[in-house]
Amino acid sequence: MLPLVPGGAPHLFFLAAVAALLGGLSAIERKGALQLMLSRPLVLGPLLGWALGDAQGGLVLGIPLELLFLGGVNLGGSLPDNESLLAAGLTSLVVPAGLAIPFGVDAPLAVLGLALVFPLALFGRRLERASEQRNLMLMDEALARAAAGDPGAAGVNLRGLLLPFGASAGICALGVLLSPLLAAVRLRLGPMPLSALEGGWHAIWAVAAACAVRAVRDPRAPALAALSAVAVLAVTLALRGLW
Amino acid sequence: MIPAAAMEQPARRVSAGTLVQVFLRSLFLQAAWNPRGMQNLGFAHAMAPALADLYPDSAARARATARHLEFFNCHPYFAAAILGGAVRLEERVANGEAPPESVSSFKRALGPPFAALGDGFFWLALRPAAALAAAATAPLLGLWCIVVFLALYNSVHITVRVWLFAAGYARAEGVVEAVARAHLSRGTPMLKACAAAMAGALAARGILAAGLVERPFHAVLVALVVVAAWASLPRLGATRAVYTALLLGLALGARFF
Repeated sequence: MLPLVPGGAPHLFFLAAVAALLGGLSAIERKGALQLMLSRPLVLGPLLGWALGDAQGGLVLGIPLELLFLGGVNLGGSLPDNESLLAAGLTSLVVPAGLAIPFGVDAPLAVLGLALVFPLALFGRRLERASEQRNLMLMDEALARAAAGDPGAAGVNLRGLLLPFGASAGICALGVLLSPLLAAVRLRLGPMPLSALEGGWHAIWAVAAACAVRAVRDPRAPALAALSAVAVLAVTLALRGLW
Repeated sequence: MIPAAAMEQPARRVSAGTLVQVFLRSLFLQAAWNPRGMQNLGFAHAMAPALADLYPDSAARARATARHLEFFNCHPYFAAAILGGAVRLEERVANGEAPPESVSSFKRALGPPFAALGDGFFWLALRPAAALAAAATAPLLGLWCIVVFLALYNSVHITVRVWLFAAGYARAEGVVEAVARAHLSRGTPMLKACAAAMAGALAARGILAAGLVERPFHAVLVALVVVAAWASLPRLGATRAVYTALLLGLALGARFF
């Protein structure tokens, strides 16, 4: 019997619908609309986590993802990895899994989820490219309509939001529906795998911190970051009486 | 020389309500971003309410719409200035005070420099600084760190976006001077320095978390992974770096942690 969220299968389907809606909206907020940064992992993780029942669990996932993708910038035609799709998919998978087991969203569960769905960031980039190619058809339609004297030709613009919304919604719903499998794996882990996954979490944090330093595209960044890190370490150790 | 026909009619202006509509539609500038026209569909869609005010004749409005379906690319926030300016120039075109080509020239001239300015300030300085400030304060503030991020970022973003649109509409070509006087780029180095310091603090947090409790060897390992990841990221990329570190962490965790 797979571990399910409190409320059982009907609640799981309800959560899948919630994740689909928020995941879809995040996909269009990322680039197509508003860009208020609501789809950044730091915001989307806790927000989606809250909607699914565990905001703190979403924050645990959102912070390292934010740091990992801090340097991704959409300049002109270049496309960065899709951090929003990854954050939405990961939160949809991990948070309901955490609700289904006694431990909640802990480091081993987060690492398991991240290892499984990290390629979503690359997949999201391909999806975005496909969406842009599809938008070419919308542009051709608008040009043809304008040439034919239709003053409402540009109204096709908003149709460009449909594919990102639908794709992200589907992935998030699938994430929620597959979450019992992840919860079952987490429940069966012995001390050695748990210890290994704890180590993996620290390693991911280390890479995330390195990505954050790289994201600051300034020649002074490495030196300033090193100074700051040493200062924080020194102050913390001094406060604990270890130095 | 103003054509006689234009002098006989009352000057065509866009209403305040229409300006609000244009601004709100500018929030969907990249809804149908495409490789050939880039933000052209979004720009034409945002201009539609203004064109409806200025060109009651549908054939003239369709010609104006076609004008805005030409290639356009800019930073999505800074595009608000060009959009505001384009509305002002369309008013002049509708009143016969300027040729239609002046709108296209204006858009072509301002797109690239404003894109560079917006990318440098918003994407490469303000966003990393705000996100790192939020991440650094998360242990103290918990979920409230999200408010820190959104407030730091959007208080600047929304103010600048509204101001750019208003300045563009008020000054048209003169918006360049207004943007230059705002000295937005002057804050960029300071924001980057703050961001770097906070990234360092977050690295220290990761090291301390691994070292707790009484595990100095683990802290040293994590510090080494931070340095190694920083050095190898340009060659590996984020995905391979994450999986490499994950494998290393799993192996070390299974053996030592």
